Amino acid sequence: MAFVKINNVSFTYPNEANPILKNINLTIQQGEFIVLIGQSGCGKSTLLRHFKRELHPHGEMTGDIFYKDCDLEQLDSEVAATDIGYVFQNPENQIVTDKVWHELAFGLESLGVDSQTIRRRVAEMANFFGIQKWFHHKTTELSGGQKQLLNLASIMVMQPKLLLLDEPTSQLDPIAALEFIQTLHRLNKELGITIILIEHRLEEILPLADRVLIMDEGSILFDGPPKEILKELPANHAMITALPAATKIFHQLSGVGPVPLTIREGQRFLSTQQVIPSHLPPSKSQNEKNIVLEAKDIAFRYEKNGLDVVHHFNLQVKEQEFLTIIGGNGTGKSTVLSILSGLQKPYRGKVFLFNKILKSYSNKQLYQQYLTLLPQNPKTLFVQKTVHQELEDMARLHKVSEKKIQETIHLFHLTHLLNRHPYDLSGGEQQKLALAKLLLMEPRILLLDEPTKGLDAHAKEELAQILKDLQAKGMTIIMVTHDIEFSAQYSNRCALFFDGNIVSEEEPRAFYSGNNFYTTAAHRISRELLSNAITCEDVVTLCKKTCV
Amino acid sequence: MKAFETFHPIVLFSFFVAAISLSMFFMHPIYLAITIFSAISLNIALRRQLFFKDWKLYVPLFFLMAIINPLISHNGQLVLLYINGNALTVEAIMYGIAIATMIVAVMLWFSCYNVVMTSDKFIYLFGKVSPALSLTLSISLRLVPRFRHQLTQIVQAQKVIGMDYTTGSLWHRIKCTMRILSILITWALDNAIDTADSMKARGYGIKKRTAFSLFFFERRDGFVLAIIILLFVSNFAASFIGTTTFYFYPTFGAVKWDIGSILFYSSYFALLSIPLAIEIKGALKWRSLKSTM
Amino acid sequence: MQKNMRLIISLIVILVLIPLTLYAGITIFADRKYYFISIVIIFLACVPFFLSFERRKPQPREIVVIAVMSAISVAGRALFIVTPGFKPVAAITAITGFSLGAEAGFLTGAISALVSNMFFGQGPWTPFQMFMWGMIGFIAGLLGKTGIMHKKIPLILFGLFAGVFFSFGMDIWGTVSMYGVFNWKAYTLALTSAVPFMIIYAVSNVIFLLLLERPIREKLERIKNKYGILQ
Repeated sequence: MAFVKINNVSFTYPNEANPILKNINLTIQQGEFIVLIGQSGCGKSTLLRHFKRELHPHGEMTGDIFYKDCDLEQLDSEVAATDIGYVFQNPENQIVTDKVWHELAFGLESLGVDSQTIRRRVAEMANFFGIQKWFHHKTTELSGGQKQLLNLASIMVMQPKLLLLDEPTSQLDPIAALEFIQTLHRLNKELGITIILIEHRLEEILPLADRVLIMDEGSILFDGPPKEILKELPANHAMITALPAATKIFHQLSGVGPVPLTIREGQRFLSTQQVIPSHLPPSKSQNEKNIVLEAKDIAFRYEKNGLDVVHHFNLQVKEQEFLTIIGGNGTGKSTVLSILSGLQKPYRGKVFLFNKILKSYSNKQLYQQYLTLLPQNPKTLFVQKTVHQELEDMARLHKVSEKKIQETIHLFHLTHLLNRHPYDLSGGEQQKLALAKLLLMEPRILLLDEPTKGLDAHAKEELAQILKDLQAKGMTIIMVTHDIEFSAQYSNRCALFFDGNIVSEEEPRAFYSGNNFYTTAAHRISRELLSNAITCEDVVTLCKKTCV
Repeated sequence: MKAFETFHPIVLFSFFVAAISLSMFFMHPIYLAITIFSAISLNIALRRQLFFKDWKLYVPLFFLMAIINPLISHNGQLVLLYINGNALTVEAIMYGIAIATMIVAVMLWFSCYNVVMTSDKFIYLFGKVSPALSLTLSISLRLVPRFRHQLTQIVQAQKVIGMDYTTGSLWHRIKCTMRILSILITWALDNAIDTADSMKARGYGIKKRTAFSLFFFERRDGFVLAIIILLFVSNFAASFIGTTTFYFYPTFGAVKWDIGSILFYSSYFALLSIPLAIEIKGALKWRSLKSTM
Repeated sequence: MQKNMRLIISLIVILVLIPLTLYAGITIFADRKYYFISIVIIFLACVPFFLSFERRKPQPREIVVIAVMSAISVAGRALFIVTPGFKPVAAITAITGFSLGAEAGFLTGAISALVSNMFFGQGPWTPFQMFMWGMIGFIAGLLGKTGIMHKKIPLILFGLFAGVFFSFGMDIWGTVSMYGVFNWKAYTLALTSAVPFMIIYAVSNVIFLLLLERPIREKLERIKNKYGILQ
C-alpha cells in the first residue's frame, strides 16, 4: 500500500494562463525523508500544499491524491487535521496564541480532546523538544529558532503521520537552523514520521534525506536518492549551484565513483585526487583608497542600566570596498549598522563620515547623498500597490528623474514585475525592489542588514551580481550577515563581530583560512591540502592547476 | 511570597467582582472606612513600591473629586456659607469626600486586580463562556507586542528614506505617521492569512473546542470560593435590609451600633480581607518552613 | 441545543436582565447608584454581540482579521505617546466596520478596549470604553452598507460624531453619573471639562479617517480578493 499517491495532478491559479503544476505523479512510502527543491516559482510550495487538504490553494485542480488509499477529498476531517501536519516558512505567523503552553494545546483543543489527555501529550512533546524551560513563557519572548521548534512541537502533539514543511529554516540563523534540521532527523529516525521538506540549505539536509525531488517549471525533473542527483541533472542546471560544497567540487572536477555529500566525504574524495599542497595569492584589497566611514571607540546600550551591546567598537571602511561583518545571532550586529547609519546614537565614541563627524550632517543630507540602509525586512519599505508605484513614490519624495527610474528598473531586472503587488513578489524580488527604491537616492555608502536571509542560491547570486556592479561604479558596501559562504565568495574584507566589538578583520582568504570552525565548507574540505582555498571555485582552480 | 494569586482564577475573579461591586455600592461611612482600609492594605501587600508611587496620582484625584460635589450640589441643612447665593453645605462636602473615597478605593481594587488577574487567567475564564472571543483576544494580545516591534523597524526604515515622523512640519509628521500605520497594516493583514491557515491546519472549527489550562481547582479553592459567595450574599442581604444605607441629604442619617449591624459590618470586613489574610498566612507559613529547613 | 441556549441567554439579557437592573437601580438602590448601574447595563449590552459572534461559529480568517485590526489600533498608540487623546483606535475600528460590517466593527472596538486595558491597566472605565468603541464600529458597519462612507463629507461627519459620542459616554456620563447630580451646573461642569478632549477626539478621528480610510479599505479588499475571506 502506498502511503501517499499523487495521480496526474495539474493545477492552475485563477487568472493565470499556464498551469503551475503539470501532470505530477508521485508515490510516497511511509517513513521516507524527502527533500523537495527547485527554483522559486517552480511550483514546489503549491505542490506541498496539495498534500494538506485544509491548505489547498484557490484555483483549478485536476487529478487525484490518495492518503492511505483514501481519496484526500473524502478523508475524515479529523484524520485530515491530525495525520498530516504542516509547518510554514515564517515562524512568527503560524503561532496563534500568546502562551507557549496554550500554543502546544491549540490543535488538541480544536479537536475537542479532554484536558487530561492534552496535559499528557503536551508534557510528552515538551520533553521531547526540550521546551520545559520556556513552557510558561509568552510566545513573543521566544527566539526565532524556539518559535519554529514550538510550531513543530504544536503539530507533533497531534501525532501526525506525515509532516510537511515549507522552508522552515529560511528565517533562522545557521545554528538554530541546524538544530531544527536535526530535530526533524530525530523525528524521522526515532518515530518513523514521513517528512516532505522544502529547503534551501542543502549542505546540511541532503546527507540526511532518503530521497530528493527536484522540480522545474511545474514538473518533477529528478526523483531519487541524493547521491544520484548529478547523474541525472543536466550539467549546467541552475540547481547545481545550490548543492553541497563537496558535491559541487566533485561535479566540477568531473569526479567518478560515489558522490560526496558531507564535508567528510568531500575530504575523502579530495584525498584521492592527488592534489599537490598549494595556495592562492591573497585577494585584492582596497588599502590605498580613502577612508569614508570610521567608528572610534563606540559604546552603546539600549537602556540606561542595561548592558553594553556595543563597546570599544572601532572600524574603518575604505572607499569602494565590500565589507562583511559576520557574527552570531543577537550579538548586536544590526545595532552596529544602525549606529553607523546614525539611527542610534552611541553614548560614547564618534562616527566619522568622509572625515566629518556624523552628527554634523542633517538627516536630509545624510540619507539623500551619503548613505542608506537596507533593513532586514524589506517589507518595512513598501507602501504602494504595485512595484512601479513604489518606485514612483520614492521618486516623488526625492525628486528623481524619470530617466533614473528607468535605469534602475533595468539594472534590477524589474521590468516584468512592474504591475505586481510588492507582497506578491518572491523574497529575492522583494529584496531587489527594496534595494532599487533606496538606490534611487544615489547614496555613496550602502549598508545591508542580513540581505541573504531566506534567499535561495539563485537569488543570492543575483544579489551578489547587483552588489558587484554597484561596487564597480564606486559604491562602498557594508553588509552584516550570518552567511559565511556569501561573505567568503563576494566581499573584499571580512570582520568578525563578537561581544560588542570586532575581534578580527582581514581579506576573505586570510580571514577564513585563519578560522578553524567559523569558516566555509569548501575550506573545511580542502584545509589539509590547500592552505587558503575558501570557495568551491578556489578548490577547483587549484586542483585543476596542480593535479594532472 | 505570593499566596493569593496562586488560587484558581475563578476564585480570584469572584473576589474582585464582589469587592469592586460592593465597594461601588456602599456609601455608608463605616463601610467606606472598611473599603478604603482593605483596599490600601491589599495594595501594600501586593504592590509595595508601586503603590507608594501611585500616591502622587491618588491624592490629587481624591481632592479634585471631593471638591466637585459641593460645587454642583447645594443640598443639605448645615450651611457653612453662601457663594454667589449658593449654599456650601457640610453634607455636600462630606458626600464629595465619600464619593472620592469610593472612587479611589475602586481604583485601588483595580490595581490589585491588574496584578493578580493576569491576561492568561482572564482568557481562561472568558474562554469558558465565550471560546471564539477569548481566542480572538488571545491572538490580539500576542500580536500587540509583535506589531510594536514591527513599528520600530518601520519607523527606522522610513527615517532612512526621509519619512521621519518625529521631525518636520505638523503636516509632514501626520503624513509620515499615516504612512507608517499603513505599512504596518499591509504587513499585518498579509501575515494574518498564515495565522488563519495555521489554525485551520490544526483542525480549528471541526469540533467543539475544549479549553485546556494549567489551572487546578483544589479543595482550598472550593473553600475560599464558598466563603466569598456566603459573605457576598450576607452583604447583599444587609443592603436589602438597609444596614448599608446611609443618607447624606437632607442631612446625615445615623450610624447604627446594634449587634445585627456590627455583625454585618464584620462580614463586610471579612469578605474584603480574604486576600490579605491569605497573603499573611502564606508569609507566616513560608517563614516557618524556612526556619525548619 | 448549544445554539438555542445562547439565543435564550441573549434574549434573557436584553429582555430581563437589563430592565431588571434598571428597576433595581431606581427602586431598591435609590441612593444615586447611577455609575454602578450604568457599568452593569453597559456590560450586559455587550453580551448579545458577543453571543451572536459565538453562535455563528466564526471562521479562522474572520477571527484573525478582527484580532489583527484590534491589535493594530492598540499597538498604533505607541506612535502617539506625546499626544494624549489623539489615538487611532476609533478610526481604525470605524474603517473595519465600514469594510467588514457591523458585527466585525463592534468586536474590533470592544476587543481593542479590552486588550488596550490589559496593557495599560483595567479600571472601571473598561466596560464604557468597550461599549463606546464597539458602538462606533457597529454604527460604522451599518453606515458602510450605504456605500457612501468613502466620500469626504460623510467621513468628516462620522469622525465628528464618533468623537462627540465617545466623549459623551466616557467623560460626560462618567462624571455626571458618578456624582448622581443631575442639574445644569453638573452638566456644564462635565461638559467644560470634556470639551477639550471632545475636540481632540473629533479632530483626530477626522484626520485618521480621511487619511486611513482608503488605504485600509484597499488592503482589506486585497485580502478579500486574494484569499477569499469574509464572503
